[in-house]
Amino acid sequence: MEYQELIGSRRSIRYFEPDKPVEQEKIQKILEACLISSCAVNAHWLKAVVVKRADVSPEDLEMMKNPVQALVIALAPVHIYFYCDLGVVNEVKGARLKELVDAGALNPTHGWSHKFVDELVYPQILKPLTESPAYPIASAFDCGVAANQGLLMAFELGLGACLTAFNAEVVARYTKPPASWIPLYVLNVGYSAESREAGGQRPRPPFEGQYFLGQYGKPFPRDPKVIEELKRSKLLQTPAPLPNRKQEIRELARRLNLPE
Amino acid sequence: MLSRPITAYQSVKTWGDGLRNQWGGDPLAEEPEKVQALEAFCEFVGEEPDAIIGHCFRIRKADGARVLSTKWRAHYADKIKAFRAQHATDGPRRAAAVLGFLIHNGILIQA
Repeated sequence: MEYQELIGSRRSIRYFEPDKPVEQEKIQKILEACLISSCAVNAHWLKAVVVKRADVSPEDLEMMKNPVQALVIALAPVHIYFYCDLGVVNEVKGARLKELVDAGALNPTHGWSHKFVDELVYPQILKPLTESPAYPIASAFDCGVAANQGLLMAFELGLGACLTAFNAEVVARYTKPPASWIPLYVLNVGYSAESREAGGQRPRPPFEGQYFLGQYGKPFPRDPKVIEELKRSKLLQTPAPLPNRKQEIRELARRLNLPE
Repeated sequence: MLSRPITAYQSVKTWGDGLRNQWGGDPLAEEPEKVQALEAFCEFVGEEPDAIIGHCFRIRKADGARVLSTKWRAHYADKIKAFRAQHATDGPRRAAAVLGFLIHNGILIQA
């Protein structure tokens, strides 16, 4: 799928074929997509533990449920539990930055050298950053960037996916995360039981209220010609609800024995 | 066991209104098996529909707000599982009807 169409076709899929397994190589590809994401100081805070729903006891699955994601985790055959590893910066102590120096990504033209990392960047910037209240926020932002690449990869592979919160305490019995990992979200993955359109592109707030030019309060101008171009490239698609959506949901409810 | 026709209960009317708004038509009239499933569940637990809904809410002492009762939701979740297990063939559909009745009355139970 072309990139713009891929972004435009992504939906939060909440109905999965519960018994159709996801190929191991597809799960790996999702994780590989996460790994190559952009990440500040090459830290790669995002950690993930893949759990196959079939390996979770019915009792634990029941306890994992919360009111907003219960059915999603019950239907999705694969759960990718995302964590933010807050310990990583002080573990690697700038080593991953020096890898970027060696790889020619960070260069003397921009002030980078091993010595700069060892004597200034790690001890004077990164280490104090890890003690700042803002540190988990910055780290979680980068985790989101990485997770989103995995999310998009799932759709590229013909799968459906949906990010939801999870019950960290119960899930930890399976995932056994180190103390420095903080729970983020779970990427629920499986073959979508919904149509490809999944009811149409979901409503979003007005563009002008979200993005600004120069300063807050001056909306970034939204050019109608660009909108038309994006419709042709399928980044922008028919908005939800499509006329057949209710019928589709009703049929899914009946097939999967869900309340209507 | 019910003291009046099941469709006369306020909670069943609320369910019917919710279904009409969501799907159009008159699902309770068009699919009587939904009402029959609820009736069977009421018999199974020995309670009337409005009483079931009433039990699922409680008044929080701290601020007087009407909130869902965790204890009663868990109680009915167990009852619905048992109700579903009673009938191997149509148990899941009957249980889904009861869950729908609860959802349209503002009570989400995962069972």
